[in-house]
Amino acid sequence: MQAEIADKKEAQVGRWPGTVVARLTARGAARSGVIWGSIFAIAIASSAISYSGIYKTLAQRDALAVAYGSNHATSALLGPAWQLQTVAGFTVFKVSMALMILGAVWGLLTSTRLLRGEEENGRWDLLLAGQTTRRRATAQALGGLAAGVFTLWAVASLVTVLSGLDSKVKIAAGPALYFSTAMVATAVMFLAVGALTSQLGATRRQAAAYAAAFLGVSYAVRMIADAGVGMHWLIWASPLGWVEELRPLTVPQPIALLPIIAFTMVVAAGAIHLSGTRDIGASIVPDRLATQPHLRLLSGPTGLAIRMMRPTVIGWWVAIVLSSFLYGFIARSAGATISRSSVEGLLSKLGAPGTGADAILGVCFLVLAALVAFVAANQVTAARSEESGGRLDHLLVGPLSRASWLWGRIRVAVVVVLVDGLTAGVFAWLGAASQHSQVSFTTLLAAGLNIVPPAISILGVGVLALGVWPRAAAIVVYTLLGWSLFVVLIGGIGVTSHWVLDTSVFHDMASAPAVPPNWEASGAMVAVGSLAALLGGFAFRRRDLQGE
Amino acid sequence: MGVAAIRTEGLTKRYGKVAALDHLDLDVVEGEVIGYLGPNGAGKTTTIRLLLGLIQPSEGHGEIFGLDCQRHPIEAHRRLAFVAGEANLWWSLTGAETLHLLGRVQGQVDKAYREELIARFDLDPTKKVRAYSKGNRQKLILIGALMARPDLLVLDEPTSGLDPLMEQAFRHSIHEARERGQTVFLSSHIMSEVEALCDRVGILREGRLVEMGTLAQMRHLSALTVEATFSEGSVPDLSGVPGVSSVQVDGRLVRCQVRGSVEPLLKALVAAGVTELLSREPSLEELFLAQYGVHGKSPDTSHDAS
Repeated sequence: MQAEIADKKEAQVGRWPGTVVARLTARGAARSGVIWGSIFAIAIASSAISYSGIYKTLAQRDALAVAYGSNHATSALLGPAWQLQTVAGFTVFKVSMALMILGAVWGLLTSTRLLRGEEENGRWDLLLAGQTTRRRATAQALGGLAAGVFTLWAVASLVTVLSGLDSKVKIAAGPALYFSTAMVATAVMFLAVGALTSQLGATRRQAAAYAAAFLGVSYAVRMIADAGVGMHWLIWASPLGWVEELRPLTVPQPIALLPIIAFTMVVAAGAIHLSGTRDIGASIVPDRLATQPHLRLLSGPTGLAIRMMRPTVIGWWVAIVLSSFLYGFIARSAGATISRSSVEGLLSKLGAPGTGADAILGVCFLVLAALVAFVAANQVTAARSEESGGRLDHLLVGPLSRASWLWGRIRVAVVVVLVDGLTAGVFAWLGAASQHSQVSFTTLLAAGLNIVPPAISILGVGVLALGVWPRAAAIVVYTLLGWSLFVVLIGGIGVTSHWVLDTSVFHDMASAPAVPPNWEASGAMVAVGSLAALLGGFAFRRRDLQGE
Repeated sequence: MGVAAIRTEGLTKRYGKVAALDHLDLDVVEGEVIGYLGPNGAGKTTTIRLLLGLIQPSEGHGEIFGLDCQRHPIEAHRRLAFVAGEANLWWSLTGAETLHLLGRVQGQVDKAYREELIARFDLDPTKKVRAYSKGNRQKLILIGALMARPDLLVLDEPTSGLDPLMEQAFRHSIHEARERGQTVFLSSHIMSEVEALCDRVGILREGRLVEMGTLAQMRHLSALTVEATFSEGSVPDLSGVPGVSSVQVDGRLVRCQVRGSVEPLLKALVAAGVTELLSREPSLEELFLAQYGVHGKSPDTSHDAS
C-alpha cells in the first residue's frame, strides 16, 4: 500500500516534466498580468462611464469632435480621433495610446525579467539541466508568457464587457472584446520582442534597453505618420501603427491583425532560433567582459549608487527630455484648437483651468510628474535590491553606518528627481519657444520644479516601507503611484470626495503653468515625504537586513 | 588577560518560535584561529550576522574587541573584514573596481599585499564580475578581506567553490594572518581545513554550542579507536569490558572504541593472546559525526558486537 502511494507521488512529481519552464514562466507572468489587466480595466471603464457625464449634450460632443478631429498635434501625440461624438470613439481616443505604450512596457519588462533575468541569476541553468533543450525551454517560456498575457486580456476584457452593459455606454460584447484585444496587442508583440532582445543582450538591463529603444523608434515612426505631413503610409512600418489601424469601436479593420500576428510569430521564432545558437549566459551581441577599471565614482557607497544607477537614470532623463520638448512643441497648436471648446471643461477638472497652451501644458506636466515620480519609485526599488541581493552586506560590514548608506541613496534620489523636474521645465520651454508660444522660461522652470514634491512624497513613503516592511517596498511605492494617478483620473471625471482625492500625491500639486505653483502645498508634500523618510530611516537602523 | 577578540553572552536569535541561535556563550582570544562547525541550519551564519550587526539579537549580546556589536558597529567594523559564503557582488564592476570599492569602504588596504594576493590566487582583475566563475568570485571577496590586514577575519565558508590549489593558497594566507597576530573566526564544513588551521574548534548543534575546545581536549574526552588481531580461535568477547563500546568482530580482527582508562581493555586483550594491536585518536570528522549520530546519539555508543 505504501509502495503504491509512493509510486503515485512519484508519478505526480514527474508529470509533464517537459513543461516545467512553461509553468514557472506562466506563474510569474500571470501575477503581473492580473495587476496590469486591472489597471487597463480601470482606465477603460472610467473613461467610458465618464464620457456621458462630462459631455451631456450633442453640441458639446460636436465641439469635442471639431476640437480634436483635425488636430495633427494631438494626433501625433495620442493617435487620430475617430467618432468623438460617441462613447466608444472618445474612449478609444482617450486611453488607447496610453494603454498601447503601457502594454508594450509591461511586455518587454516581463519578458526580459523572466528570460534574461532568470538566466542572469543562474536559475535558467537549473531548468536546462532538466528534460529540455535551450530552444525548447525558450519556446516553453514564450508559452508561459502567452498565459500571462491571456490573464491581462481576460481581466481587461471582463471589465470592458461589463462596462459596455451600462445603459449610458452601450458597447456590445463583440466590439468590447475586439477593443480589449487591440489594447493588449502591443503587450503580445513586445513580449516577443523582449524574448528576442533577451537573446541579444548579456544582461536583463541590456535586453530591456534594446526592447525599449525599439519601442521608442516605433512610437516616433507612428508620430510622423500621424503628424499630417503626408507620410501616413509610415503607419504600416510601426507595430504601434498596426494596433492603431485596428481602429476598435469606431471603424474596425481586423486586417491589421495580420501584421501583428506575423510580426509576433517571426520575432518569437527568431528568439527560439537564436537561443539555440548561443551558450547559456552568453549573448548574440558581443559583451565586453573585460575592461580597464574606472574608479572615479567608486570611492564609497554613494558614488557606487550613482555608478550603478547611471544607465537607468540617463534613460529616464532622455524620456523626460523628449516628452517635455514634444509637449512644449504641440502646446500652442493644441491650445489654439481647444480654446473656447468644451475640452476646457475637461482640462479644468484635471486641475488645469484656462485656455490655450498654458492649459495644455498644465495637463502635460501632470504626465511629466508621473514620470518623475516613477523615477523616485525606481530609486527605492534599486535600494531594496542592494539589500535583497546581499550586496549591502559587503558595505555594511565596513565602518559604514546604515544611516549613512540610506542617506546617501536618498541624496542621490532627490538630486535625480530635482534634475529631472528642472529638465522637464527647460525642455518644455525649448519646445514651446520653437513654436513661438507665449510661455515664459521662468514659468516653465517653476512648473518643472512644481512636479518634484510629489516624487519626494513617493520617495519618502518608499523609504518608510523600506524601513518597516522591506519585502513590500516595491509593491507599496508602485501601488501608491498607480493609485495616485487613478485618483487624479477619477478627479478629472468629477469624483469630488475629499477623502479619496487627498490620497493622491498629485492631488495637491498645482497644475502649473495653467495655474501658479502652490509652494505651500509643495512644501507640505516635501515635509510629509521627509518625515516618512525619517521614520523609515529610524526603522531601517533597528531591523534585520532581509534577503528576497 | 587582554580584551577578547569576540565575546558573546547568552546571544540568542529567534524567528517566531524557532531559535536559530540559543544562548551562545563564546570567547575568542586575540590572535587565535577558531573553527566553527555545524551542519546547514545549525546557526553558524546567524552567529556571524549577529556579530556583524546585520541582524538584531532576541537576547544577549556580542562584543568585538570589547565593542558592543549592536551599539558600536562602526568602531567594531574598523577592525574586521568579512568573507561571505555567497559572493553576491556588483556584476557590472570589474574585479579591480570591486577591490578598489571594498578597500575604500573598509578604509585600509595594504596595496602591495593586495597585488601579492591577486597573483597568489591567480585572479584576472580586468574581468567583470559577471564573467567570473563562482570560484573566482569567491577569490575576489577573499582578497578583498585579506588585503585590509584587519585585526579580525570573519570567514563564513570562505572556500566554497575553490579548487584544491586555491584551497592551499587560502591556508597559506590564514597561516600568514596567524603569524601577524590576526584573529580568525572560520565557519566551515571542510573538516580537514579546520583541523589544519584552527587552534580551537566549536561545534554547533541546533543553535547550541555543544563542544568547544582544542582538538587535543576534544580527543581526550572522546573515544580511542582500537583494532586488535588474535590468533585462530581465541577471539574474546570485549563487550563487558569497562569503557569499551562499538565492538565489531571481523574474523580474527576486533575493532572497538574505549573511553577513559585503557587498562581494563589491555588486560583483557593480553589475557586473550592478542597478536597485533593498533590504536588511533579520532579525526575531527569522527568527532563531528559523533556529535551528529543517529537520533542525537553518538554512533560509538551503539553496541553491535555479534
